[in-house]
Amino acid sequence: MLNRLFRCLIPALLCLSAADGTALAHPHVWVTMKSELAYAPDGSATGVRHAWTFDEMFSVFATQGLETKQKGVFTREDLAPLAEVNVTSLKEYDFFTYAKANGKKLGFNDPVDYWLEFTNGALTLHFTLPFKAPVKAPNIDLEIYDPTWFVDFAFADKDPFHLVGAPSTCKASIGRPNGNAASTAPLGEQFFNSLDASSNYGSRFANKVWVRCT
Amino acid sequence: MTSPPRCRSRRPWLVLVIAFTAVVVAAGLLDVALAQTGPFGVRPSGAPPPAPEGLVGWLLAKQAEFYRALSTTIRAAKQDGSAVVGLLGLSFVYGIFHAAGPGHGKAVISSYLVANEETWRRGIVLSFASALLQALVAITIVGIAAALLHATTRTMCGTDRVIEIVSYALIIAVGVRLLLVKGRSLLSAWQTIRHQPLPVPVGAAVTPSDHLHHDGRQDHHAHAGHVHGEFCGHSHGPAELTDLTGPGGWQRGLSAIVAVGLRPCSGAILVLVFALAQGLFWAGVAATFAMGLGTAITVAAIATLAVGARAVAARFADQRTGFGTLAIRGIELGAAVVIIVFGALLLGGYMMSERLVVVCS
Repeated sequence: MLNRLFRCLIPALLCLSAADGTALAHPHVWVTMKSELAYAPDGSATGVRHAWTFDEMFSVFATQGLETKQKGVFTREDLAPLAEVNVTSLKEYDFFTYAKANGKKLGFNDPVDYWLEFTNGALTLHFTLPFKAPVKAPNIDLEIYDPTWFVDFAFADKDPFHLVGAPSTCKASIGRPNGNAASTAPLGEQFFNSLDASSNYGSRFANKVWVRCT
Repeated sequence: MTSPPRCRSRRPWLVLVIAFTAVVVAAGLLDVALAQTGPFGVRPSGAPPPAPEGLVGWLLAKQAEFYRALSTTIRAAKQDGSAVVGLLGLSFVYGIFHAAGPGHGKAVISSYLVANEETWRRGIVLSFASALLQALVAITIVGIAAALLHATTRTMCGTDRVIEIVSYALIIAVGVRLLLVKGRSLLSAWQTIRHQPLPVPVGAAVTPSDHLHHDGRQDHHAHAGHVHGEFCGHSHGPAELTDLTGPGGWQRGLSAIVAVGLRPCSGAILVLVFALAQGLFWAGVAATFAMGLGTAITVAAIATLAVGARAVAARFADQRTGFGTLAIRGIELGAAVVIIVFGALLLGGYMMSERLVVVCS
């Protein structure tokens, strides 16, 4: 009897220890995204523009103790120091944004045009990530995710992604993470439409954007 | 004296299994710890990692669900005081799920209990005490920094960071201390084996072996520092007796409580700040304690399991031959190493417990 108990207990313990590590992390921050891919007049993509809206609890936490001219109203100026902290902190995480042109990784320069706004109790961080060099490519793929899952990203239900100034031959489609049990968003038709030969099933857990120009 | 019948020699493979398990536990934990290398270490490249699935994924999903419901419930409590009851329930359940998910607290407490030959009762007390401390630290930080000083998030992040470093350093200190004590015990167990008569050839009857052992010179020598243990094994060496199960044990326990409980849960801090902003700080305080209670229950359950596993292993290790003792000491030493590795990885930023990215850089 004891022998059996011993054989059961040790693996159980091992499993628990393993669960401790492999689970990586759990989010305390939820972000609802609206993103854009910006193009230059010559048809080359110049960078990614993000508008990330944080969840209510985190928004309150982030603005705690901030001095404002008018109580309870945060102007862009009031929030400027916080925006600075945000982008500096995000740099360490590559802005959670990964881009590829024709399968080749694209680098980003430091963000520009960043600011925060506080509306309806939620903080939204706007920033633009310029590509190291403008790219002309028929296929551009974007992925937005936190590999350590401290931040839970999700595209907004409305207007999640736009192409700005793109050649008319370009089309964008998005894929939402669905393997993630925390996300209750149903698997959209768009997701299946976007499943082409170049997309890989294994990366279904990230928020993906496929831009295809014909 | 003659051994009771249940003390008959165990098969050597059992000892091997135990020793092997010790190695696997240690190596497994190491592996797991290293695999956690996040943005601070080697950046994962290529495809994003799959979201956690199965039981862990479910735990995390539930946890996220409860956590997100907290803010709505706090808001509701502002209008209707009775919603606080719901808030407490939600916080409690969140705590249970939260502790079942990732976090170094369980691993350190379990390893500590295994290494330190502690009782399950003590494991439960340690779990509850560290969870209570964790809640108190969160309340103190938010109470002083946010409520009284109106400090910014940045200041709070700084405070949190300092506490974090102290806590991780303490974890390493607890581990190193155990390693030293256990290293000595292991050496002592090893020496006992070396001084024992050569093993009797396989197939020899058990009785002559016993006879040899008990009538031989070793018997007298060994008995100088021996105590007959609960499992009819002999605990070797005086060090562990005075050092590990003596009355001073609570002070050592305190170091583990502080090491694990000093670092507040980010979730609790967020809830407290949010409650404060709604003018319901007291509700946040109550929620934090409820969360701590939930956390303590899960950690205590896991700690009890760890203590149980160790007791079973001890039972199977025939400590009379010395090899069993050696195996047990090996497990303990491994557990001490695990604590040090956890502490070092956390301190070095290679493994993160909970970090509020975006605002805390």
